[in-house]
Amino acid sequence: MDFANLAAQLNAGTILPEGIVIITLLVVLVGDLIVGRSASRWLPYVAIAGLLSAIAALYLQWDNTNPVSFFGAFNSDDLSVIFRGIIALSATVTILMSIRYIEQSGTAMAEFMTILLTATLGGMFLSGASELVMIFISLETLSISSYLLTGYTKRDPRSNEAALKYLLIGAASTAVFLYGVSLLYGLSGGETQLSAIAVGLNSANAGQSLALVISLVFVIAGIAFKISAAPFHQWTPDVYEGAPTPVIAFLSVGSKAAGFALAIRLMTTAFPLLTDEWHFVFTALAVLSMILGNVVALAQTTMKRMLAYSSIAQAGFIMIGLIAGTDAGYASMVFYLLVYLFMNLGGFSCVILFSLRTGTDQISEYSGLYQKDPLLTLCLSICLLSLGGIPPLAGFFGKIYLFWAGWQAGLYGLVLLGLVTTVVSIYYYIRVVRMMVVKEPQEVSDAVRNYPEVRWDLPGMRPLQVGLVLSLVATSLAGILSNPLFTLANNSITNTSTLQPAVVSSVGTQVDVNQTQPLID
Amino acid sequence: MNLAEGVQIVSFGILAVMMIGTALGVVLLPNIVYSAFLLGGVFISIAGMYLLLNADFVAAAQVLIYIGAVNVLILFAIMLVNKREDFAPLRNAWVRPVFTGLVSVGLFALLGTMVLVTPWALSTQVSAGDSAIFLIGQHFFTDFLLPFELASILLLMAMVGAIILARREFLPDQVMSPTKQQPILTLPERPRELVSVSSDKSSNLDDGRRG
Repeated sequence: MDFANLAAQLNAGTILPEGIVIITLLVVLVGDLIVGRSASRWLPYVAIAGLLSAIAALYLQWDNTNPVSFFGAFNSDDLSVIFRGIIALSATVTILMSIRYIEQSGTAMAEFMTILLTATLGGMFLSGASELVMIFISLETLSISSYLLTGYTKRDPRSNEAALKYLLIGAASTAVFLYGVSLLYGLSGGETQLSAIAVGLNSANAGQSLALVISLVFVIAGIAFKISAAPFHQWTPDVYEGAPTPVIAFLSVGSKAAGFALAIRLMTTAFPLLTDEWHFVFTALAVLSMILGNVVALAQTTMKRMLAYSSIAQAGFIMIGLIAGTDAGYASMVFYLLVYLFMNLGGFSCVILFSLRTGTDQISEYSGLYQKDPLLTLCLSICLLSLGGIPPLAGFFGKIYLFWAGWQAGLYGLVLLGLVTTVVSIYYYIRVVRMMVVKEPQEVSDAVRNYPEVRWDLPGMRPLQVGLVLSLVATSLAGILSNPLFTLANNSITNTSTLQPAVVSSVGTQVDVNQTQPLID
Repeated sequence: MNLAEGVQIVSFGILAVMMIGTALGVVLLPNIVYSAFLLGGVFISIAGMYLLLNADFVAAAQVLIYIGAVNVLILFAIMLVNKREDFAPLRNAWVRPVFTGLVSVGLFALLGTMVLVTPWALSTQVSAGDSAIFLIGQHFFTDFLLPFELASILLLMAMVGAIILARREFLPDQVMSPTKQQPILTLPERPRELVSVSSDKSSNLDDGRRG
């Protein structure tokens, strides 16, 4: 195989966006080495520019006719493009909100950007990985950078505890995931590509063997850790409390989106023989996540822990789309993740701004904020109400679409549970909003009474304001003008060939798809 | 049975006993230094297994990386942070080992059953033997090219992160934070203990933490 032939077969143009992120990462790292401390003034903007050009490159990748590259290791179909876009966009907004935060905590800026960009890179590769080794390496790139970011404020014992806990639980779940993947490799006769695994399992008649079920359960355990679904959520509240807030903003959106991309690709491509079984396991995870996340969030007294449980609950809602297993189901997941990106990152921007100004994130300290900082109050209210699913905000349409797709697929119990737990969730979101708009002067908290003068001209405040207003506008308008996003989500699913012929081609080879067919109609 | 097969079976038996014995030692011994040394034994027996499977390159890599680097690093870490601390004995301390043992035995039974009942598709291919190193190289630069290259980014980032975490911070009297709102390298949020004053509030917090 000569070089020109090899280069043509690699089809390396599909990873152009990731290439841009890698170059940005190196520019940030080397630029900081050469220029020194003063580089932290412009480095974040280099990172943002790099991520935005990666998103532009992703836009050019849309509807790629030849998506498979690197001998099947990477698949750049529309499903992966939209997930990579979500991850890159969440990293962009995270950088906007982190500049002031990093500056005030006195940590190094360039290294934070480098590790965050590496995490983004891992997530982007994970969304397109269609081969077991690639999945594992990109998953590890994402995870190890997340552990490092969690322990970034290293003189804070809470941060140390969170990082250690995350590392230990993460290493255990990675080991479990690897065990499941190795079983998959053995059962399929030594295949590592997902589509070849499905063929190998089919020809080895491994459909109902105990080993395949065990490998399915182990693989799902690894994924559920990444998307922080109950009962694999124990790390979430502690990490959310101890990690720097921009980091958890990224973890709650970017890392979670990568986990869902992995779930869709791995489950639909490698486990078509066990469709009923993985639907069942994910149903159990969704039920537990929705109930536990929403109920325990009621008892929380700090914002960060409340948002942690809220993110567990949101993972439960998104799983409804995965379990539905239809085009509408997957499209609703993508749509909800797009909307969730803006409303959750907007919420985190507000939490960061409040804690930077007052040094606390107790929910009770928010009372009376309306009188001192109307913009912050407005933005936090809109984002929280949208997370709760109040019309006409974006989150309402996202939830409606998820529940509609679930109802169409016949998941009546799950959708009803989702509706009930949504009502519970509205209670704890509204509690914060009500706290902020109290009028009585004696109820105003100490933190708000000593609220510093609102100044946007401090270094790093302007990008935070930009991120805040951007997510506020997106959250309030994406609901009413949701049609472009809606079309985008639908197209990303209908143009993805691995999701489309999976239904058509497997009808001929196996029987159990026919049982799910009436549910789709 | 000829001589070669006999040697193979005997050495498999020796390696298996060694592996299980040292692995149990790693888990059961209370002294962490002994555990670390026994972990080296586990790695060596695994390398022996690779040799039996005709994978000599993997066996050499196993010895070099796991024993030469990972295990030595673990020992270094233990030696450097060997701080003796007397912990108060827990009540019902026997519950944890018993529970852990039950879970482990259950998991072992499940996986053992799985191994026995699964009709494994045994490969009839002749093992690569001496040409394995060429094959591995060929795979690295064809179908595993992308993960191979991504691993270099992963290692770069791990190195940067390790330096960040291990670096001794030079703390020039809070020059970095002009507002002096928070001590350097910590979270801006105050720890909760300072905030919760009344007793009912702190019990509430404990509930939240337990959930």
